[in-house]
Amino acid sequence: MKEFSYTITDPVGIHARPAGILVKEIKKYSSVVTVIKGEKSVNALKLMALMGMGIKQGDTVKVTVEGADEETAAAEIEAFFKANL
Amino acid sequence: MALDYRKWAEEISANIGGGANVISAAHCATRLRLVIADNSKVNKAALENVDGVKGMFESNGQLQLIIGTGTVNKVYDEFLAVTGVSAATKADVKAAAASKMPLWKKILKTPGDIFVPILPAIVASGLMMGIIEAIPKFWPAFGNSDWYSFLDLIANTAFALLPVLVAVSAAKVFGGNIFLGAVIGLLMVHPALINAWNVAGLEEIPTWHLFFFNVQQVGYQGHVIPVILAVYLMSHLEKLLHKVVPEMIDLFVTPLVTVLITGFVTFTIIGPIFAQLETWVLAGAEWLAGSLIGAVVMGAIYPLTVVMGLHHMYNVIEAGMIANTGLNTWMPIATAANIAQFGACLAVAIKVKNKKTKSVALPSSLSASLGITEPAIFGINLRFMKPFICGMIGGAVGAFFGALFGLGAPVYGVTGIPALPAVNNTLLYIVEMLISAGVAFVLTWFIWKEEKPEEKAVVETDGAAVEVGEITAKSVIRCSAGEVLQPVKGNVIARESIPDETFASGVLGDGVGIEPEDEVVTAPFDGTVTSVAESHHAVGVEANGMEMLIHVGVDTVNMNGDGFECLVAEGDAVKAGQPLIRFDREKIKAAGYSDTVAVLLTNSDDFEDVECGLK
Repeated sequence: MKEFSYTITDPVGIHARPAGILVKEIKKYSSVVTVIKGEKSVNALKLMALMGMGIKQGDTVKVTVEGADEETAAAEIEAFFKANL
Repeated sequence: MALDYRKWAEEISANIGGGANVISAAHCATRLRLVIADNSKVNKAALENVDGVKGMFESNGQLQLIIGTGTVNKVYDEFLAVTGVSAATKADVKAAAASKMPLWKKILKTPGDIFVPILPAIVASGLMMGIIEAIPKFWPAFGNSDWYSFLDLIANTAFALLPVLVAVSAAKVFGGNIFLGAVIGLLMVHPALINAWNVAGLEEIPTWHLFFFNVQQVGYQGHVIPVILAVYLMSHLEKLLHKVVPEMIDLFVTPLVTVLITGFVTFTIIGPIFAQLETWVLAGAEWLAGSLIGAVVMGAIYPLTVVMGLHHMYNVIEAGMIANTGLNTWMPIATAANIAQFGACLAVAIKVKNKKTKSVALPSSLSASLGITEPAIFGINLRFMKPFICGMIGGAVGAFFGALFGLGAPVYGVTGIPALPAVNNTLLYIVEMLISAGVAFVLTWFIWKEEKPEEKAVVETDGAAVEVGEITAKSVIRCSAGEVLQPVKGNVIARESIPDETFASGVLGDGVGIEPEDEVVTAPFDGTVTSVAESHHAVGVEANGMEMLIHVGVDTVNMNGDGFECLVAEGDAVKAGQPLIRFDREKIKAAGYSDTVAVLLTNSDDFEDVECGLK
C-alpha cells in the first residue's frame, strides 16, 4: 500500500467538477484509492461519497493506494492532486 | 486530427475481429456501443491501449468503449467506414443484444420488425386506398374522374412499390447497407419487368435464358417474403465480402458483387421457388373454394397467404369463376378472412394500454375493414400472434357461413365493406361480416393479453411501496433501478446542452439539465440524502443504488451559499417531491452565473439501460 498527504489548494475544494475529474483519473488504475479526512474515509471512485466529505481549500487529506499498479498509480495520482486540486 | 479518428477506428476494428464480428454499432454521447458476435476475438488489453479509448466495459452483451463527447461521433463515423457496419440506433443495439430468443420465434418476429418502421407509410396508404377505391362502387361516375385517378395514384404508391419499403427496412433489420437494400427492392419492381398484378392475364410471359435458368421477366409487386429473403441474403453477403475483400478495393467491389449476386439469385432461385409456390397455392385455393369444408379451410389460411404475398394471384380464381358461372364465390371467403383480421386488430386497439400500439392498431383495423389487411396483419396481429390466430378462426367461421348460403358477387378485386353494393344478398353478406369480425374480436378480447415490458414491471413493483398519489412530476431519467422524477419545474434540456463542460461531458454521470422556472429543488424519488454541499447549492440523493447529484446553477459554488437554503441534512430520509433546496434565481443571475440545474445519475455507468429525457 502506498500513501501520501496533500493539502487542497483549489478554492472550491473537492466539489462537483474537481471530484468528477478525480474519479475519472482514478478509474484508470486497478488499485483501490481511499481518501481520508479526519475520521472519515471514502473509496475515491464513489463520486457522491467523495463530494459528501465536504473537503475544502486548506483541508489536508490522506490518500492511500492499494493494488497491483499501486507504484505507478500513487505517483500519478499524487501528481494529479498537485496539478488539479 | 481526422487521421487520428481513422487510426483509432482502425485499431478498434482490428482488436474486435473486424467488421464481420460486429452485429451492430451505435454511439451515445460518450460511448461507442458495440454488439459483438464472437467475444473471443476481442482483444481487451489491446483495446484499452488504443489512444482514443478512455475506458471500456461490457454489459448485457454490449461492448462499450468510452471515447468522449464530441469525439465519439467522429470515431463512430470512421468506425462505420472502416468496418462497413451500417449505422444503428441505440435501440437497435439493445435489440441485437437481446436477441437470445429461440429461432422460430425470431423468424416469426422478423416480418413484424421489418413492418413496424414502415407502418406510417402503409397505414396511410391502406386507408386512403380503401376509401378511394370504395367510392366508385357506390358512385360509379367518380371512378372515371381525374380526381379518382390522381388520388388513387397517391394512395397506392406505397403498395405498388411496397418491396422497396420492405427492402430498406429489412436491410436495417439484417444489418445490411440500407441503400443497397433499396437497390434490391427497386430491382424487384423495376418498370422494365412485367407487373406481378398483370401477369395473370398474359398468355406468354417473356423469359430470359441465363445459363441453365429460365427467368421470367416478372416483378415482385405485392410480395413481401421474397423481398425479405433477398435482402437477408444481400445483408449477409455484404458482411461476408467486407470481411474478405481487401480494404483498398472494398468500396467498389463489395457493393458491386453484393448487388450482382443477390439480383441473380433472387431472379433465378428465390423467384422461381415462389412462382412455383404461387401456382400450387392457386390450384389448391381454387380446389378448396369449390366445397364447403374447403371454404372453411381457405377462410382460415387466407391470411397466411397474405403473409406469403401470394394473395395477389387470387384475381385469377375470381375471374375464372365469373367466366364459368357468373358468380364470384371466392370473394366472401376473402372477405371473411380480411374482416376477421379487422375484428382481431380492433380488439387489440381497444384493449391495449400501450399508446403507441393503440395508435397503430386503430387505423390498421379501419384499413382492414376496407380490405387492405397488411397493416393490421403485419403491424399488429402477427406481431402478437394470438390475434392473428383468432382472426384465422373468425375467418373460417365467416367463410363457412358465406359458403353455406351461397354468397357471391359478379365482380372481382374487392373485398370487405366496399364489395357490399355488388353482392347477391346484402343482408346475409353483412351477417357474414359481423360473424367473422365478431368471432375474431371476442376470441382476441379474451385470449390475448398485453405483454408488459420488463422494465415497467420493475417500476411497478417499486411503485407499490411508493405513494405516488400526489406527485405530478414526470420522470427525467429512467433505468432498471427506477426512475428519477423531475426535481425542478422548468424546461428539460439534454445533458450535452448544460452550459458547463464538466456536466455536459458526462464526467459526472449521465442525466439532464433543467432551465428552472421555479426556485425549489424537490426529491426525485424516495431515498436518502447522501451529501449536502457546504454552500448549499447541490445535494446528493441515493435510492436503490442510484446515486443522484442535483446541482443548482453553474459555478454557483463560488456564491458560498448566498441565495441558497438547504432544507435537509446528510442522512435524512426523503420522500419523492419533498423540498430539498430553495434558491434565488435573481441572485444567481446577479452573480453572473447560469441557473441551469444539473440532474445527474453519477453512477450511470453501473446501469446499462439509462434513458434520459422527459417522459
